[in-house]
Amino acid sequence: MIDTPLSAAPAFTLGPVTVTWPVVTTWGIMAAMAFAAALATRRLALKPTTSQAVLELVVTTLDGEIRATVAGDPGRFRTLVGTLLLFILVANWSSLIPGVEPPTAHLETDAALAAIVFAAGICWGIRERGPAGWLGGFARPSWVMIPLNLVEQVTRHFSLMVRLFGNVMSGVFVVGIVLTLAGLLVPIPLMALDLLTGAVQAYIFATLALVFIGSAVSGEHNADHPPRHSHGQGPNA
Amino acid sequence: MTFDWVTFAFQLVNVLVLLAILRHFLFRPVAAVIARRQAETEATLKAATDARAAADAAMARARAESDATQAARHDLLVKAQGEARTETDALLDKARDEAARIVAGGKAQAKRESARAAAETLALARDLAAAVARRALAAQPAGLAGYAERLAASLWALTPGERAALLQGDGLRIVTPRPLSARDRTAVTRALAPFGVKPAETTDPALIAGLELRSANGAIRNSLAHDLDRIAEAMRDERG
Repeated sequence: MIDTPLSAAPAFTLGPVTVTWPVVTTWGIMAAMAFAAALATRRLALKPTTSQAVLELVVTTLDGEIRATVAGDPGRFRTLVGTLLLFILVANWSSLIPGVEPPTAHLETDAALAAIVFAAGICWGIRERGPAGWLGGFARPSWVMIPLNLVEQVTRHFSLMVRLFGNVMSGVFVVGIVLTLAGLLVPIPLMALDLLTGAVQAYIFATLALVFIGSAVSGEHNADHPPRHSHGQGPNA
Repeated sequence: MTFDWVTFAFQLVNVLVLLAILRHFLFRPVAAVIARRQAETEATLKAATDARAAADAAMARARAESDATQAARHDLLVKAQGEARTETDALLDKARDEAARIVAGGKAQAKRESARAAAETLALARDLAAAVARRALAAQPAGLAGYAERLAASLWALTPGERAALLQGDGLRIVTPRPLSARDRTAVTRALAPFGVKPAETTDPALIAGLELRSANGAIRNSLAHDLDRIAEAMRDERG
């Protein structure tokens, strides 16, 4: 029987502060990713090795995606979008390790990620267009739209959070239930499906984050339907 | 379901720290190496473009130099041909003048040689004539009586058969350059008396001087003309 995924189990306490397992798992993921990144970029050369070629392919593809969505230098958003993509992907796939529950299956982690995207959109919007320009964007196409645009600004980031949380949590929940009822090997197809879902959700989250930030930079508010990317809004999307 | 704000804060910080870590250890180095390679590629392409432009410029320069060289070569060729033609004409004129001068000199030389040879021939003929005359005159006897005695000696020098054939031949005659005087006739008669013949007398100015006895069977030459001929033949044989 597994614990409910809707609450984070405490791992240990530091005085009055209780550190939960998602935080500890995130620390482990951070350490692993930092170690892997440092190891992979230890000896970069103009004539790349296979691992360097893979890294460059990832970065180049990321730049291409950013360039296709937001005009200008893709290096501005590379770190944020790339970190979101890789962290969510690794966090989603961490469920493959026995006993590890992905931190993205807990609302606090997804809320933190969405909050960062929300803050980044505001920061980049003000930096690129100025405070007046950014605020003026809410009055488009008419000042009547100001309340709706303000609500949209919150709800789309909320949906970003809930979409990731719901998909990952449901996968972990279903695998846990099946594992409890059926036995050792039966959940494997569901776990494989979880891998696919985790990868898709990481991509969707990173892309939507990029689209939201891009809309804040350019002042457009139809960011849920960007010209190039179109994602479904179904239960699993 | 509860929302743990502490966990939210931890995750917020964790993601921001991860952002910094990946920015430092992953994205920045990889982007830097990509940018460096792109810069190297662009520099290489630029160098290749520059090298190609330089090669094109060098090619154009070489082509221009080649054209200029061709033009200069053509000019030089035309100039050389003109100079050669002029030089050839000058040489031909000079050669013609030289040939005309040589021919004229040759003709003058031949004329001089011819005159000199004629003078030498004349001198030789004079010397020869003098020598012949000197020898011939030295061998001539004094007066017709001397010739008569030499004729008798010549008759005595013949064999009896030869002498008889001569003396008994038809038309035996004494030939002199001039008609005999009485004193000369006496001398001739006295000289021929031992042989018992009295030949007729005829004259032949070609003998110059002397006395010859002739018949149908032969003759005894005893004259200056005959001596001159013999001496001349002998001298010709000596020179030859």
